[in-house]
Amino acid sequence: MKDILRLSLPLTIWLVSFSAIYGLHGVLCQFDWSGLSGPFGMLWGRLVLVAAWAVAVVLQAMTLVVLLTPRFGGPPGFMRSTTLTLAIVALVAAAWTMFPVAVLSLCL
Amino acid sequence: MLLGGGTVIFLFVMGLLALALLRRPLGAGGKAGDGDPGRGGSERVWFWGLGLAFPLVTLSLLTVYGVVVGDRLLPRDAPDLVTVQAEARQWQWSFSYADAPGRVTENVLHIPSGRPVDVEITSVDVIHAFWVPRLAGKLDAIPGHVNVLRLQADEPGDYAGQSGEFSGLGYREHLFTLRAHDPAGWAAFLEGRTP
Amino acid sequence: MTDLPDLSSPTPRRAEALRLHRKLTPIWSARPGLRGVLTTNNNNLVGGIFLAAATLFFVIGGILAMLIRAQLATPGSAFMGPEAYNQVFTMHGTVMMFLFAIPFFEALAVLLLPSMLGTRDMAFPRIGAYGLWVYIFGGSAVILAMLLGLSPDGGWFMYPPLSSAAFSPGIGPDVWLLGISSIEVSAIAAAIEVVVTVLRYRASGMSLSRMPIFAWYILIVAVMILTAFPAMILGSLLLELERAFGLPFFQADNGGDPLLWQHLFWLFGHPEVYIIFLPAAGMMATILPVMARTKLLGYGWVVAAAVSLAVLSFGLWVHHMFTTGIPHLALAFFSAASTLVAVPTAIMIFSWIGTLWKGRPTFDLPMLWILGFFATFVIGGLTGVMLALVPFNWQAHDTHFVVAHLHYVLIGGYVFPMVAAIYYFQPVIIGRTRFFKIGEVAFWITVPAFHVTFLAVHLVGLMGMRRRIWTYDEGQGWTVINLIASVGAFVMAFGFALVILDVVVNALVAPRSRRNPWKAFTLEWATSMPSPMYGFASIPVVHGRYPLEMDPGLPVSIARGEGLLADTSRNRRETLVVSTTDGTPAQVAILPGNSWLPFTLAVVTSTSFLAPLVGAYMLAVAATTGIVVVALIWAWTQGSRTDEGLIDVGHGLRLPTAWEVPDPPGWWGLLMLLLADSVLFGSLLFGYAFLWTIAPNWPPPSYLNPGLAMPALALVGAAALVAGPRLAARAVLRQGRAWGGIGLAGLGALALAGAAASVWLLRPNPTGHAYDATLWVLAGFVLLHTTIAVIMIGYLLARVIAGYLSPRRVGEARIVQLWADYTALTSLVALGAAWLPGAFP
Repeated sequence: MKDILRLSLPLTIWLVSFSAIYGLHGVLCQFDWSGLSGPFGMLWGRLVLVAAWAVAVVLQAMTLVVLLTPRFGGPPGFMRSTTLTLAIVALVAAAWTMFPVAVLSLCL
Repeated sequence: MLLGGGTVIFLFVMGLLALALLRRPLGAGGKAGDGDPGRGGSERVWFWGLGLAFPLVTLSLLTVYGVVVGDRLLPRDAPDLVTVQAEARQWQWSFSYADAPGRVTENVLHIPSGRPVDVEITSVDVIHAFWVPRLAGKLDAIPGHVNVLRLQADEPGDYAGQSGEFSGLGYREHLFTLRAHDPAGWAAFLEGRTP
Repeated sequence: MTDLPDLSSPTPRRAEALRLHRKLTPIWSARPGLRGVLTTNNNNLVGGIFLAAATLFFVIGGILAMLIRAQLATPGSAFMGPEAYNQVFTMHGTVMMFLFAIPFFEALAVLLLPSMLGTRDMAFPRIGAYGLWVYIFGGSAVILAMLLGLSPDGGWFMYPPLSSAAFSPGIGPDVWLLGISSIEVSAIAAAIEVVVTVLRYRASGMSLSRMPIFAWYILIVAVMILTAFPAMILGSLLLELERAFGLPFFQADNGGDPLLWQHLFWLFGHPEVYIIFLPAAGMMATILPVMARTKLLGYGWVVAAAVSLAVLSFGLWVHHMFTTGIPHLALAFFSAASTLVAVPTAIMIFSWIGTLWKGRPTFDLPMLWILGFFATFVIGGLTGVMLALVPFNWQAHDTHFVVAHLHYVLIGGYVFPMVAAIYYFQPVIIGRTRFFKIGEVAFWITVPAFHVTFLAVHLVGLMGMRRRIWTYDEGQGWTVINLIASVGAFVMAFGFALVILDVVVNALVAPRSRRNPWKAFTLEWATSMPSPMYGFASIPVVHGRYPLEMDPGLPVSIARGEGLLADTSRNRRETLVVSTTDGTPAQVAILPGNSWLPFTLAVVTSTSFLAPLVGAYMLAVAATTGIVVVALIWAWTQGSRTDEGLIDVGHGLRLPTAWEVPDPPGWWGLLMLLLADSVLFGSLLFGYAFLWTIAPNWPPPSYLNPGLAMPALALVGAAALVAGPRLAARAVLRQGRAWGGIGLAGLGALALAGAAASVWLLRPNPTGHAYDATLWVLAGFVLLHTTIAVIMIGYLLARVIAGYLSPRRVGEARIVQLWADYTALTSLVALGAAWLPGAFP
């Protein structure tokens, strides 16, 4: 059963951060302070979203690193290699699906 | 362009499939296990090359393109912007105008040509959608929400509009006309000289 | 069904196999006649009836499709008016999606999964039978309502406010909502059964990496059902509450929001597309290598791709809502995720083409349908990528282009592989080869006609024809194309009719099939054809992914009882439970025999769903009580009052029965049910937060101030509910008195229920604002779970008194404990969510 949990973990984390950032964006746009300008010539809303994106990517990378260790990664074999593949998939997904927070107009 | 690219990919995949099928058709007396055992080399081509690299490259280009084009269609601030309101009901459209308060037209939306127009869309009963196919994509009219659609008619004239979201019995006849005026005609409309 | 295993071995071995066959058959067979059909829970029969019912609904859905195409064949058609047409297209979508597509692959899974895994039956045979009957009753009610002209007419996704009481005053939407509830119950039941079967009921030595690829696919699909359907269940519950009692979840004037429905519907609806596609892909990955005389290329890649596809598909729901005015940035997320899912799909497609490449393909009938799949599905996938682009979507949304796209994906990606599967598995299912060449003729009629039809529909969609309009005018330029589409559709329908006819003819007159006609390597081909009622005469011991390749003599040795559990002296249905990861034998499951209980429970369940439709509320209440009573009888007939100890399973191995282990299959089943339940709960919290932030007319006029007493009561109650079952289980282990712990748990559940009831009492009007309505549902959730907890605790007490628990038999106490823990946790979260906004006035 631990194998199955390990297998589902990386992409589940992606799904949670994806939904959380989607929700965060909704909240930011609803309460009208996302347009206030903040440091580095960026809007506050943008800054928060990009930070959340970075956290999500780092979290995903950490998941991969943890699963690479023998202690948490389980015994070598089919399940371990599949789990690692999925951890890489989740890392790519986290970087790719949330890139719009960095480049698009915020709440239009 | 989408269609062309899609066709090329389709033909490529089908060609590969045909080749795979006809490469070594089964001779007489063949039985299970006659095929080669899986080899690392071939997996590399099929999965890393065709399964991963090929779709990732085409899709990332396509997505970036779609996202950028979509972003350009957004209702940003513009100096000569005109704002109108569209209110949908079963099965009728009422339009009102920021530049002519109190003016309401039924089933005909008047706009100036050559200027960006924001249509503020809402509904009083069920969900409808505002859609003038020649000018812009569709946007839903949802009770309790106001959605803003940016469009621009470069030429004066009449454009057909319709609801794009199923709304019950009268859905098919839920139509309207968008009338784009030249500057003189628009001024006349605002002064109430044209119906 | 009583055919002898055909063995071409010397007489003594044959005699041994025959003896075993004669012993096992009566143990596993149904009773004779109709009574046998209604009381059976053997997967061979249940799956067969399931398959026949799903096919029947396919025919009904197909007839509705023909009515649509007849109407659209000519402009200004007087064949149907909009009233009839709206009902017909709504029902076509509903029947095909809910009554055909999902049940059909569930039926195949029930039929084939035990054989593929090397076990004798599904994990919960009675739950399987129950799901079957609930589905048949619910589906029949929906069809009956249609024949009476009472169908819903708002489209198969039922958008409120069009489906709300104000704009759909009839019972059409209620028929839809309650009928679909039956399907949801049945799907959840089947999914729980599939997950536990795949994880625990396998041949000895079948580790996860040795499972047949279809088992992986169906495991993933079952988990998706458990995590996607609950959002839809919640949505239909809320809509029914609004329609029946006026709780304004979707009415903007009262703090509701029609968009909430769209979110809940598509949270289910998008994964649903992959729930339908993945079983078909699993069939492809099973059949195609055998047709190419080789093995699947890149098993690990395919498993990883299937898992990725499953999870990624949950991040796509908003792409059905691109035109609802959601900010473009948020749409871009979903656009990026939508294009990303094409990658695992590409992995699968190229795995299959690569398999053909390294193999030596033959062109048997299943292979033809597989090629039909390729030609069709790739086009559907490419138009899907186009639709994932926001600007294109804004134009094509709700036109016939979308209609054509989804038919390419669903018919090409689902129906064609399923036809291939039927032909491929025909020897296992009906034990016959094919007769005549009707199958080839049907293929060459169906697939070309499909493409003619839906290429035309693509085109007319690009020309601006909206979906769901009941007719069009002469001058719009759509006349010829629509006529072509209609003619093609009728030809295609004729082709599908031929397929069904062909299978029926084969079942009646074709010669018997020999064993393993395709020379495949997996266990479902190791039995005699058709698969006998008991599945395997003894549970196989496997050493690799392709057991029949490593040991061609395996079928004979299984039949002679040289595997595990060949001893029939205990005269009951036994099968093996293995450890999840590596397939080491762990327990012996004792499966229930024929019983009226599943059918009876399905009757009362369906009555409780359908009685409100005709206003028979008292009957509904009575039926709900009936559910509790029948469920208690059901549970009571399991288990044993004496310890049996370890039993001999063969090969010198001694194992406990599933009644004498701390993690019986029932515990695993409950765990899966709670997974689904927690998704429903999460969706409810999402809905609450969504209304709070997005819906107009918030905040509500006033908040509920809980005071201090009620939160304190809830905390104490939850603590008691968690502690009680633990104390009871410990007492059982020490052979002490369990009463104290059980009593404590009961009091805890009652305290939690009291705290929840206070929410109802303090906010007596749930119809004024969506805030109050949501509070009522949150409290109702707690009340339902605590009520069930009280019933379970009472049941546990009775079981202790009756002597069903002992230090070896503590499984039932652990099951109650799991439910109690879950109830305590979710109750605190639910009540906290209800109380927090008003706690600090």
